[in-house]
Amino acid sequence: MNGVATSERERATEGVTRLRLADGPLLRPVLCRVVSMVLTRADWPLDRLEDALLVCDALCAHRDESSDGKRLTFSIDADEHEAELRVCELTPESAERLVGQARLPLVGNVLERVAERVTVGPGQAGGGAQLAIVLSGR
Amino acid sequence: MTPDMELALEARAENIAIVRHALGGFAEAYAVPESKLADIRLAVTEACANVVVHAYQDGEPGAMEVLASMQDGEMTVRVRDWGRGIRPRPDSPGLGLGLSLIAALAETVQLGHDEAEHTEVRMTFSLQDEPPSMNGHGP
Repeated sequence: MNGVATSERERATEGVTRLRLADGPLLRPVLCRVVSMVLTRADWPLDRLEDALLVCDALCAHRDESSDGKRLTFSIDADEHEAELRVCELTPESAERLVGQARLPLVGNVLERVAERVTVGPGQAGGGAQLAIVLSGR
Repeated sequence: MTPDMELALEARAENIAIVRHALGGFAEAYAVPESKLADIRLAVTEACANVVVHAYQDGEPGAMEVLASMQDGEMTVRVRDWGRGIRPRPDSPGLGLGLSLIAALAETVQLGHDEAEHTEVRMTFSLQDEPPSMNGHGP
């Protein structure tokens, strides 16, 4: 097992936190704690921090239908103004599905309501797809 | 064995807090007792601090990686880096207690390199006295 890929290791030296988790009960407690700490260190206000955790909850709640059921990979990059949470190593279909499943009756799409931008794009190194969620810190 | 959790981040002192919180989430999922979690956090903190202080030359940016897995009542944590390796350092700014502390807290400690020649500290912690279980699914 070689751990996180070299390009991601290089990104870690640029301040991007990379997290890869086994699907299951581990997902929510670890993702929420890591995102909380990264945003707290970036001096985010509490209300925006809560919004970010809402995004994490939505992603964790719908990961069953969108992941391969084994591992989910995230990257988190934040400064005081903006944070980008990426869900990596998805298929284009699963990335779109993950966005679509965040829709709630009478509320709309939670991800799109809370985030500044929600985009599905090609994965790094040309493989698969990734979901990028950009949140504003102010 | 593929780890249950892999966390890669910049080797900076302030990032050790992120590692400690990630371990808290890991422990919550596996119902690790609080006293054991305190030992694990302290040992992993020391290992990460070694990376921050010793692995990379002054000012050189570098990454650290923390991998954790649970199997058969034993938690394994590996802390690794891509720096200059573990070697004697007469000008060390620390007290030199880190590895001794890790050895006292963990059941086993291995220092060396992983299969890709990265510097690695591998620690195991036994949870046999109080078997871990996934929240909501265990005894």
